[in-house]
Order: sequence, then structure tokens, then C-alpha cells
Amino acid sequence: MFNEFSKGLFKENPIFIVLLGLCPALAVSTQVINALGMGAGVIFVLLGSNIFVSLLKGFIPEKIRIPSYIVIIASFVTIVDLVMKAYAPSLSRNLGVFVQLIVVNCVILGRAEAFASKKTLPESILDALGMGLGFTLGLLLISLIREVFGAGTITLFAMGSFDGVVRIPWLSANPARVLGLASGALLVMGFLKALFNWLEDRKERAA
Amino acid sequence: MTYIGIIITFVFINNFILTQFLGLCPFIGVSRNTESAVGMGFAVIFVMSMASITTWAIYNLILVPLGLEFLQTITFILIIATLVQFVEMVIQKVSPALYKALGIYLPLITTNCAVLGIALIAVRSEYNAPESFVAGFAAGVGFLLAILVMSTLREKLDKEWVPKCFRGVPIAFVTAGLMALAFMAFDKALLKNLLG
Amino acid sequence: MKQIFTAGSKLFLICAVAAVTLAGVNAITEPVIRERGEAELKQALAALSPNAGTAEAVSVSAEEVVRTYYPLKEAGQYILELIGSGYGGEMKILALFAGDGTVLDVRLMDNLETPGLGKKAELPDYMLKFKDSGGPDRPVPVRKDMLITADADAITGATITFVGIAKALEQGAEFVREVNDVQ
Repeated sequence: MFNEFSKGLFKENPIFIVLLGLCPALAVSTQVINALGMGAGVIFVLLGSNIFVSLLKGFIPEKIRIPSYIVIIASFVTIVDLVMKAYAPSLSRNLGVFVQLIVVNCVILGRAEAFASKKTLPESILDALGMGLGFTLGLLLISLIREVFGAGTITLFAMGSFDGVVRIPWLSANPARVLGLASGALLVMGFLKALFNWLEDRKERAA
Repeated sequence: MTYIGIIITFVFINNFILTQFLGLCPFIGVSRNTESAVGMGFAVIFVMSMASITTWAIYNLILVPLGLEFLQTITFILIIATLVQFVEMVIQKVSPALYKALGIYLPLITTNCAVLGIALIAVRSEYNAPESFVAGFAAGVGFLLAILVMSTLREKLDKEWVPKCFRGVPIAFVTAGLMALAFMAFDKALLKNLLG
Repeated sequence: MKQIFTAGSKLFLICAVAAVTLAGVNAITEPVIRERGEAELKQALAALSPNAGTAEAVSVSAEEVVRTYYPLKEAGQYILELIGSGYGGEMKILALFAGDGTVLDVRLMDNLETPGLGKKAELPDYMLKFKDSGGPDRPVPVRKDMLITADADAITGATITFVGIAKALEQGAEFVREVNDVQ
């Protein structure tokens, strides 16, 4: 059972192994707080969609399953969008259209189709949590690299007198700004994927 | 913005793939072969143009007057899913070879961030009907441009030696990153200089 | 035939449930979103001028650079809502003008500028470049070469953001002079 949860974290990590949900991964990874916000949104939608698809699997006829999944997913995305606009407006502004674009995040439709429509409710919940968390971790990794080296900061939640921005001494004066831009994101992604390929390769050779 | 301005913006300055990251999955997936890249590009241009004008109509003529803006996400994605279904049927009839070559990536145009992306951006920027259509068309052309250049680069790369862990996807991303760097030359200053 | 009908009505049912649920969520969040927007505007206006609390908004246009203005009759000043053209799209600017068009204070509000570059225009010191310009003797600096060296260096890599704000302020200054003359 635990395997259903953990596979989403590493072995089948949505971003680095299966290569799904890339668009938001690169677009919102300029700041750590954005990655956390997007990750939270995706986990919420994944949970909602997996739960309902699993519950309704007997009810939804095969012919209309994709449109049905889309309506379910789009509803949860709209909820996230409205709630974010009302209660986390600066996060909503930072993420922009990418909140609504969660609806076309292949991870969510992919899990609904490949897993939740066939498995039990508890399994679907674990799957959603694992995949969502794996997605968030991948997003966090990319944005840590991009923000630390590209801006010399780590942006978190503002609490009290702490404005939420951790500044790293030498780096925030001399950042590699390209990492904060579009091409930097693609380059980071390329090198990280190469790293993961290399790690996979080492594991296979050791086995 | 003028129509020329919109075209230049979405083809070069805010190229969907290289500056906005919309449409990455098919970009990495279909760009290995120039023929299927071009086929995918044209299918995307068609879907994006049709999608942006249709979503404009539904949003401004139905959702807004009824105060139902919050149904934007659901209606837009359903419109796009329908359009893609339609395009699939047409391609299957007209060119079975292209249909086979595009394979799974054709229905995946539905989940292509670029299509929903342009629909949402056109509404956010408050474009009118013809402007939305032009924006959809131009964004599609930008996608085609990026995927075409990418496929020629990848065809060349396939013949060269690449370190093992970089082969396939990673080197494609690095290539895209360098292309994005080059595209940074197109910015708003270019637009202002061209249009005065 | 019956199959299509059942499938269709099931899909319709799912859509209906979704629509109703979303209408509910919307009913809860919409007032919050609206109030928040109004509160933010009030706060920004108050930061520009203590008299702003009693000023009435005058709508100008939904498409031009000058969208709305708030005449502060006693002080003879005006607060303008301007829309500038930035690197990432539209920038919402709130500016306090004297009657002769001189820029007294500026705040950059909603914008999509690049973090680390154009976004620096949100910092309070940035707008000092424009302070006291816009009047009859000193035009608003709209080009890099109209700034002192230190300022020109500071906007490197974000010239478009700067020009966007400057042009909006320039038009705002002109508008203020016209409106003021009428009175």
C-alpha cells in the first residue's frame, strides 16, 4: 500500500521521470514560494480528481470518460483559482494563468485515466498524494537552483517582521541572472534530467 | 495593439515555447523528426486559431452577460477538447499517414498548455474578436517556428556524439535553452523600433 | 440510441453538479476578492496623499492611458490611475500630481515585470527619478539619456519598464494641466 504513495516521489516522479507537467514546472520555478503554492494547488486538484474519479468509476460510461474527467478536474482547478484570488492574492498574481493551466497538467488527467479509474478509493488517495508530492519536490528542486543561483535569494512566507526573503550573502550581489530567465529554466531542466539519467544508469550497472 | 504588433509579439517576443513555456510536452516529444514536427505545427495553428475565436465568443457573448465568468476554465477546456476531437476526425480522413505519424500527440493537443494558454491570455488582455483570432494564429505560428528549428537541430544532433546521460531529452532541453537565449534578442524594443 | 442518451445525461449531470458547486464557491469568494481590491486601492491612495480619503473618482476612459482621476480640491492636486506599457504587459500606476503637472509621488501597482529587473520599479526609491518633473520647466524623463548617470545605471536591463512608466507619467502630467486649466 505504501508503495502506491512512494512511487510518485522518486521512481515515477512526474517531472523528471515521466516528463509530465513541464510547462508550469519551468514557468513558476523562479521563486521557491511560487513552487510551493503551485505544488499545493496541484496536490489539492489531484486529490479531488482522483477521489471523485475513483468514486464514480462505475457511474461514468467509457465513451464519455475523458470529458467527464475534464469537467471534474476543471471544477477543482476553478475552486483553487477562486480561493487563491480571495485569500492569497499575491501568490495568485505571481502564478497568473498557470493556476488555470493546472487543468491541462498532464499529471492530473494521466493519473485519473491510468490509475484512479481502475483502483480503489484508498489507493487512489495515496497515488494522488505521492504524485502530487513528487511533483512539488521536483518543482522545489528546480526553483531552489534557479532562485539561489539566479537571484541569490530564497523567497518564503512573510511572517511578522520577516519579509519572507532569505538573502544569501555573496550570491545576492552576484547572481547568475540568466537562471531566472526562460533560457535558464530550460538549461537547468536539461542538466537536471541528465543528472537523473546518470543516477539511473549507475543504479542499473550496480544491480 | 495593432495586428502586426500582435503577430510579432506572439511569434517572436513572447514565443509560447521559448519565453512562456507553453506547449513543452509535444515540443520535446514530436521534434525529433521534421515532417511530424511540421504536421504537428499546422494542426496546432489550426486548433489555436479556432480555439481563441470560439472561446472569445463564448466568454464575451454568454459568460460575461450572465455573470458566469467563474465557469471560464471549464467551458474553455471543453471547447478545446471538442475542437481537437473534430480536428482528429478530419486528419484521419484527409491524411491517414499524418494521423499515424502524430499518433498519441494529436489528442494530446487538448492538454497542450499553449491552446488553453492563448485562450486565457486573449481574454486577460481584453482582445476583441479579430485580435483574438490573430493572436491564436500568431501563437501557433510561433510554436511552429520553434518546433521546426528544434527538429532540424535535433536531426543534426542525432548524428553527433552526445554524452550518454544527455542523450535524448536532456540535450533537447539544453538546445531549447540556447534557442531561448537567442530569442531574447526579440524584445519590446524591437517592436517599438519596427512600428515607431 | 439508449446508450447515447444515458451517456449524455450522465455527462450533463456531472456538468450540472460542477456548475452548482462552483457557483457556490464563487458566491463565497467573489465579495472577498472585490473587497480586497477596493481596500488595496484605498490603501494606495492614502499612501499617496492624506486627503485622498474624501476624493471622488472621475472615470476618464477604459482604453486610454489615463483611466480615472481623483481631484483633491483643497490641495489643488490630482491622483491619477494610469496604465503604462511595460515589458510583461500592462502596468497599473497611481501618481500624485500638482495642478501644473508636476509629479509628486508615484506607486507602481499591478504589473508583470521581470523579477530582479523591471520589478524593482515597485521599490519606493525607484520613483524618485520622476519626482518634481512634469511641470512646465522640467519635462518627465522619458529616455535614458535624460537621467543622471546613477539613475541611468540603475535601470540597466529594465529600460522598457522605465520608459513605460515615464510615458504614462508624461501623459498624466499633460492631462492634469488640461483639467486644471478648465478650472
